[in-house]
Amino acid sequence: MAEKILAGENKVLRHGISGRLVHWIVALSSFVLIFSGFGQMPIYRRYGVANLPGLGWSGDYSVTLVIHYLAAMVLLFGAVYHLVFHLTRREFDLLPRRGDLRDSYLIIKAMVTKGTPPPSDKYLAEQRLAYAFIAFNLLALIITGILKVLKNLPGIWYTETTLVWVTGLHNLATFLLVFGIIGHLAAFLFKENRPLLPGIFTGKVSLDYVRERHSLWLDRLISR
Amino acid sequence: MKKLTRRDFFKRSVAAGVAGGLVSTGLNQSALAATVPSQGTFYDLTKCDGCPGLPAPACVRACREENRARFPQPAGPIEPYWPKPTKEDWSDKKDLTNRLTPYNWTFVQKVTVEHQGRPVTVAVPRRCMHCDHPPCAGLCPFGVINKTPEGPVVTNQELCFGGAKCRDVCPWGIPARQAGVGIYLQIAPKYLGAGVMYKCDGCYRRISAGKQPACVAACPQGAVYSGEKQAMLAQAKARAREIGGFIYGEKENGGTAVFYVSPVPFEKIDQALLAQKAQQPNPGSPGFPGMPVTAENYLDSPNGLAGGFLVAPVAGVFAAGLAAYKTLKGGAADGGKDPGRGKQGT
Repeated sequence: MAEKILAGENKVLRHGISGRLVHWIVALSSFVLIFSGFGQMPIYRRYGVANLPGLGWSGDYSVTLVIHYLAAMVLLFGAVYHLVFHLTRREFDLLPRRGDLRDSYLIIKAMVTKGTPPPSDKYLAEQRLAYAFIAFNLLALIITGILKVLKNLPGIWYTETTLVWVTGLHNLATFLLVFGIIGHLAAFLFKENRPLLPGIFTGKVSLDYVRERHSLWLDRLISR
Repeated sequence: MKKLTRRDFFKRSVAAGVAGGLVSTGLNQSALAATVPSQGTFYDLTKCDGCPGLPAPACVRACREENRARFPQPAGPIEPYWPKPTKEDWSDKKDLTNRLTPYNWTFVQKVTVEHQGRPVTVAVPRRCMHCDHPPCAGLCPFGVINKTPEGPVVTNQELCFGGAKCRDVCPWGIPARQAGVGIYLQIAPKYLGAGVMYKCDGCYRRISAGKQPACVAACPQGAVYSGEKQAMLAQAKARAREIGGFIYGEKENGGTAVFYVSPVPFEKIDQALLAQKAQQPNPGSPGFPGMPVTAENYLDSPNGLAGGFLVAPVAGVFAAGLAAYKTLKGGAADGGKDPGRGKQGT
């Protein structure tokens, strides 16, 4: 990432274009996938979603399935881009580290008790854990999703047990992903986390915020 | 020998558990195309007369007898499908034999159509077509419908939630729903799930044991044949040539395992069936299928897009490779110069 201190603006460039692009490609395609995926169950007609203005199409499997396929391709593009880009550049800041569970507890405790959190690197410990959780579920969804696409092609059939497992894991990972996204968004209920928000839109966060909470990262940026 | 830490032990246990689970559940056999010759059925409609004089056609009675033990047995009052006031409950109409219900998995339609200047009456036994590429099995959100290597498409009634998606994506709307039974009762029956879907399973257990389906064995006219699917198709084609007739089931929905040969075009049969359906007390209700000759497979559109799943990752690799190359070389693709970055974190 093109992370660097922008002293003139009193900001730090936290996310490059690639990082932001991938975040929004994955986020938007995931939302479309979740909505169209739930639409693969007979719920939108039953519970009246298809009766809402402009949402009549949501009760038609032939529409939601095609949307699901197209959004899945976008997600697959984003996921592969993410992996190749960061592997090529050997950037692993978001991977969980030893002690992240303890540090997450301390950071959240500090937010609740208004205490002093442990110094963080570029990402907070709970961000690394959240990344691992969401990435693991997305990976499970992509793998089981590809198996489901293959199964729909003529001439390919799984055993009854395999079919139930693939479908069940796809459904389970969906629910876990939804919980993960809720947790991700709920982080911004804490005022302390909100200075991070502009970063995912403009790429930049306040230098004062970084100095206060991400001192390990700032030290690295300065010593480069 | 290196001491095994708790962390290593945990890692190995999880890996072994996942690997063992995959092997034991047959994932290692995934994506195998069916290699066992499929079974099929051939209905010679020049011979079927619908068993006039009997309270119900012999095939229908044999099917009911064969499957009676598997018919739904709802206990207690059945709730409507909240928030809708409706429910599909056939438990007080178990004796119906003139349509498909959860208690009647085959029935015989009878129509009279004009062909070559004279009226021709055709009796058509109806049940699941056991498609080659069944959209019901592909699209079941819980994966509980299976196309067996032996040919029949079989629903696992233990795991079915009764959402009826299988019926919605079936060109003939064959599966029938019964509320008040099934796994949904164990969760939140008032709000989620709707029952269990029932349909012909091609007498899967009988044919697996080398027997004929019950309906085939019971036909007094010898109008229905069963056996290896390609042989049934060949027999149907030969019969169609012999009488100058028409075939149904070979191409519909991308191919099925049930072949009909009729002396009259199926377009006319379909029109007559639709006219009959319109006369029913509840014309919109499923369970009285037509015979559309243009039945297209629900999976054709998504399958037409499937190539995109090969293109998307390749595009991802190229785009990311290009972007990473530019930034590593100090280009502006990632928002500025950033040469020579090394590994960070762990």
